[in-house]
Amino acid sequence: MVMSQPKPKLSRGALLWVQIKKNRQVYFLLIFGIIWYAIFAYIPMYGLTLAFKKYRAVDGIFGSPWVGLDVFQYVFRDPAFFNSVVRTLWINAGRLIFQFPIPIVLSLLLNEVRLGKSKKVLQSVFTFPHFLSWIIVSSIMLNVLGHQGILNSFIKLFGGEPLSIVGNSRVFVPLLYITENWKSAGWTAIIYMASIAGIDQEQYEAAEIDGASRFQRMMHITLPGIQGTMTVLFILAAGNLMTAGFDQIYNLSNPATATVAETLDMYIYRVTFQSASDFSFSSAVSLFKSVINCFLLIAADRVSKRFGGSGLFG
Amino acid sequence: MSNMKKRLSLLLVGALCLSFTACGSKPAESSSGAPASSAAPASSAAPASSAPAGSGQEGEAKTYDKKLKIQYANVAPIEGYDYNAGDPYAQFWSEKFNWELEIVSFSWDNWNETIRIWANSGDMPDVSIFNYGRGTQPDAASWAEQGLVKRLPDDWKERWPNAARVFEKTSLGPQMEEQYGGVYFLPRARFDVNLPGDPLPNHQIMYIRKDWADAVGFPIKDAYKVSEIMDYARLVKEQDPGGLGGNLVPIASYPTHALQMFVQHNSTFYDTFYKDADGVYQWGGTSPDTLLGLQLMYQAFEEGLLHPEFYALKADQDDDMFRIAGTAASVYTDGTATGMQVNMMARFTESVGIDAREAVHAVPVLGEDGKFHQQDLINYWGTIVFAPDIEDEKFERYMDALDFGCTEEGYRIQTAGFEGEDYEYDANGNMVSLLPEGMPLESSEGKYPSIGGYMLANLKLWDDFSFETPVVDQHWRDVSKAAYDNKVKYGTPETFAKTDWVSWAYDSPARRQASFKYEDEYVGIVTNSRSLEEVETNWKAWIDSKMPMIQPVLDELNALG
Repeated sequence: MVMSQPKPKLSRGALLWVQIKKNRQVYFLLIFGIIWYAIFAYIPMYGLTLAFKKYRAVDGIFGSPWVGLDVFQYVFRDPAFFNSVVRTLWINAGRLIFQFPIPIVLSLLLNEVRLGKSKKVLQSVFTFPHFLSWIIVSSIMLNVLGHQGILNSFIKLFGGEPLSIVGNSRVFVPLLYITENWKSAGWTAIIYMASIAGIDQEQYEAAEIDGASRFQRMMHITLPGIQGTMTVLFILAAGNLMTAGFDQIYNLSNPATATVAETLDMYIYRVTFQSASDFSFSSAVSLFKSVINCFLLIAADRVSKRFGGSGLFG
Repeated sequence: MSNMKKRLSLLLVGALCLSFTACGSKPAESSSGAPASSAAPASSAAPASSAPAGSGQEGEAKTYDKKLKIQYANVAPIEGYDYNAGDPYAQFWSEKFNWELEIVSFSWDNWNETIRIWANSGDMPDVSIFNYGRGTQPDAASWAEQGLVKRLPDDWKERWPNAARVFEKTSLGPQMEEQYGGVYFLPRARFDVNLPGDPLPNHQIMYIRKDWADAVGFPIKDAYKVSEIMDYARLVKEQDPGGLGGNLVPIASYPTHALQMFVQHNSTFYDTFYKDADGVYQWGGTSPDTLLGLQLMYQAFEEGLLHPEFYALKADQDDDMFRIAGTAASVYTDGTATGMQVNMMARFTESVGIDAREAVHAVPVLGEDGKFHQQDLINYWGTIVFAPDIEDEKFERYMDALDFGCTEEGYRIQTAGFEGEDYEYDANGNMVSLLPEGMPLESSEGKYPSIGGYMLANLKLWDDFSFETPVVDQHWRDVSKAAYDNKVKYGTPETFAKTDWVSWAYDSPARRQASFKYEDEYVGIVTNSRSLEEVETNWKAWIDSKMPMIQPVLDELNALG
């Protein structure tokens, strides 16, 4: 009888090293990702120290003198700052209600299209607007909704009075939701479609044998099947509550809507580039925004776990 | 199979490495490091002319053996145009100073923010035009203090005397020299020997369709109050003498011009701090005159006299409605003679098909008190700045060109073209244009497009010569001159105020925080109101929201004494 020698127990570090050696080609590729993150994501974070410095370009970020919390005193003195914070939260809360469900509904509906060719055509049609830049979308909106746009031409054709839409501050925020849905819902739906593709088909077959209608299968199999993806995307969206889509708002706004369009990002842009530049000031505002975003992200993750979800990290 | 995978992985890794290398490598030749070309033409060395009194002197013509490549950033040049050889004017400068200009473009909308980014990131082009003004003064002070723009050598006035002479005329130049303890910014003088007034009036005036005014029975005058222009617009809207129907725009104006027309012409200090009669600093935003201007703007918007989407118009779109489309009954815009030559003689006459001299009446706008309101324009527009690390030979070459542009000969070329080609002198010694009637010298429609955009070594702008130049039709020269004269005539020391340099140049963190984009602020008040009363309510709410930033500045200014 030959006794096999027990394998020596390896430490976790040693095990990791063995894994790295075994899959060295893949780990080698990872190096570039790490370098990218280090250079473009982590090292620039040092720039946030400007929030506590009086920035002098000639001294650079490292050499500029520290001033403690002086910059924040100026930030918190400005009512426009607080207004922009509230406005950002308000707009983004609306996004969670009016934008977040749309790609889910779209993916559920697309999944029910049985003709493969139609499904592909529809998916392409819904995805295409994602590839248009916001400057193009804003031009389209002007041509459609402007005073001499298509919509008003129709209204005038039927004897109505033209509507002022692009300069109406009351419809600006709803316009944000509509245009964002038009532009991005199809693209985001791809994520859900991918998630749906991973659902075990036997569940559908079993449900069909049990006499479940298509609507019931959608509600009781498909929807729960993508719950994990929904949770992750919801947490990420909640973590971005202080970021309200600068490109979109910058391109769609005008002086007439400026009062309702100055979100935190627009505020930062204004104080940084449209008035005498003060990079310390804008860094302080950015830091404030990032801290709040981080807090919201963690809070959403915890809430998700409390209600039985998997949370952001499983 | 396994080998295949490994090779594929290695190939991918190799491709990644190459792409990183490519991203990180420097271009083969930096823009500032142009090699001297042996094939470069020798300078044309235009002969030095004797300089008339008061018009600058030119020293001996220099020649330049080494060709230099100079980056030159200016606002709104013609995209893709060859500013080195595109026309004889461009060729003249590039041959005389043996340079190759690399044009960098600002748009009107991003001018300030672009140069702010460049200066603060150490990426200034060799030569730039900086939009020095009250709003950018804090930037300028900061750049000078930090050395982010080049300080001119102490002996520059001796080395480039013609440029120095013009510098002294700009008011801003000497003031800033004193403030900064040296010269970092070279203001470009609007006027030299033909200064229309002190304080200096702005160029903007109101253009109305004279043929339509006659048709609707609106009187022709040498200046109009804002409300009178609105009366004209109402009459034209009601009677539609041009038969344009729904396409008619009674008053074409984009936000900046709307603000000037309605608010500035009623409230002199609408966007700044000023000393009241008791010597105490106040903020113009709170002035009742500002409210009056806002209410007039609201009325014009509400009644459909302004374009229904004037708030979304960009610069020039309003002008085009008047001078190209012919759908506007009036427009508030540039009133320089050279501008009139381009906009009226060339564009309007050609596009609308009527002789602009017969069909257009152009006059200043007055406040409701019948006075002309404006802060001193100050005799400059835009300043020339050099990169702090510009090579000496490039700096000196460009200064030579600026100096030449300030001589009689150089300035004549910049404003009138070439003698014998573009103008000649008659038996009485008067300049006579040789250009076809209506053809401007500059702009994309002109003989020398490279002159457009105030290009090429301009330290003394066209304004000074615009009253004399033979390439501008005499009618427009007279109209422009009369407009400046009338602004001075209708202004009073209180309504047409000289520059208070203490307030103008004051800089502090609080002052920086209290700078706003006033056209957005005021236009927002107007477009978000539903009645005249609501305009007042919104204006008061706006003041309340701004006072936390304004009050510290007032306190600081008043503490200065």
